[in-house]
Amino acid sequence: MKVSVPVPSDRDPALPPILSLSDEDLMARVAEDEERAFAELVRRYQGRIANLVSRVLNDRECADDLTQEVFIRVHVHRRNYRRGSKLSTWLFTIAANLAKNEIRRRVRRRNWFSLDALQEVLQDSAMVFADPHEGSERTMERKQLQELLARAIATVPEKYRFALVLRDVEGMAYEEIALVLGVPGGTVRSRINRARNMLKRKLQPVLRREDTT
Amino acid sequence: MKHHEARRLFGAYWDDETTQAEREWLEAHFAGCDACRAEYEQFTRVIEAMGTLPRHEVAPDLLERTLARTRRMTPARDVLPERRPMWVPVTAAAVATLLVVGAVAGLIGHGFLGGPGADRVATRSAATVRQVASAVPAPVRRTTLVAGGSLAAVPDSIFDHSDDVEFVLDPVTLKRGRASVTRALPGGIRTEQAVVSF
Repeated sequence: MKVSVPVPSDRDPALPPILSLSDEDLMARVAEDEERAFAELVRRYQGRIANLVSRVLNDRECADDLTQEVFIRVHVHRRNYRRGSKLSTWLFTIAANLAKNEIRRRVRRRNWFSLDALQEVLQDSAMVFADPHEGSERTMERKQLQELLARAIATVPEKYRFALVLRDVEGMAYEEIALVLGVPGGTVRSRINRARNMLKRKLQPVLRREDTT
Repeated sequence: MKHHEARRLFGAYWDDETTQAEREWLEAHFAGCDACRAEYEQFTRVIEAMGTLPRHEVAPDLLERTLARTRRMTPARDVLPERRPMWVPVTAAAVATLLVVGAVAGLIGHGFLGGPGADRVATRSAATVRQVASAVPAPVRRTTLVAGGSLAAVPDSIFDHSDDVEFVLDPVTLKRGRASVTRALPGGIRTEQAVVSF
């Protein structure tokens, strides 16, 4: 018994479905102005891009806007994408550049919270963690730690912060981070190490208190 | 110095990005250095804490908003076929017709179509024109502002030029960007002066 499956009229049945396309093939279809391919591209990467931006800026509100801007840039320059280069690298490079611009814009506006303010928060939080009666509330503590960590990441100098987030939040390989940031692999290695050590120093009070409880 | 060197390798050691020699050296150092081992312990806890950070959830309408923006950026295709302007061929045909009519009329007027008796026809035509000119009433005649002109009273078309005014502009010379009217006009010619700037 034959079963006929209706095919939408705007779709060539000879072409493979969008969902099964590789990133490169998907981008090739985007370059041919196929809107469904672009929608799939956004669906695939919006979460990762938004997460990177959100962690680097420590601003969830702005993350969506900047993520949208990344995809608009991709759409504008869709024909400039070089087949053979990794799509995710290209996307993260655009995202990193836009996030850097945003950081610089904020620094110029001087509305970014200062390192001194963060140190005060960290010390206050360390006092909270030091209270043994609150040791049972592990969930709240974890949330507080995450909040502190997120703010501490935002105070790491820009060039170290990007390497740190790309590695520890996005789980990228050193080689890909080097491509995204446009620096040699050895520089990536040292930047990640320095960023982690900075973070450790900032969170030292919390970590010590946790050791004693 | 050894501790500093060891701490420089912490990150690469965690990510398994060290060389074999670096790995062996660091592990040997850990075996004999409690301080560096404790430091590394804290170091790894920070990295693990980074991994527990919640993922950012994008707004549900982000995709739709992005697509809407790209649609606004892309110019809509023309639904109707492009129309060629109609006035071009119409004007061209009219001009061509006028040229042909003018050329034929010119040939007839000069007697090129007349053959052996053409001279007589031409003479007769000139005489007819003079008779018509003298018979034309005064308002039909062309008026000029040039006094003593012999062009007056010569009908040159079928249209009424009685209300036309012919301007004879004074010759103008330019000196250092300024226009000045030349006064040396033939005697007996009176003119109204006007300076037209462009």
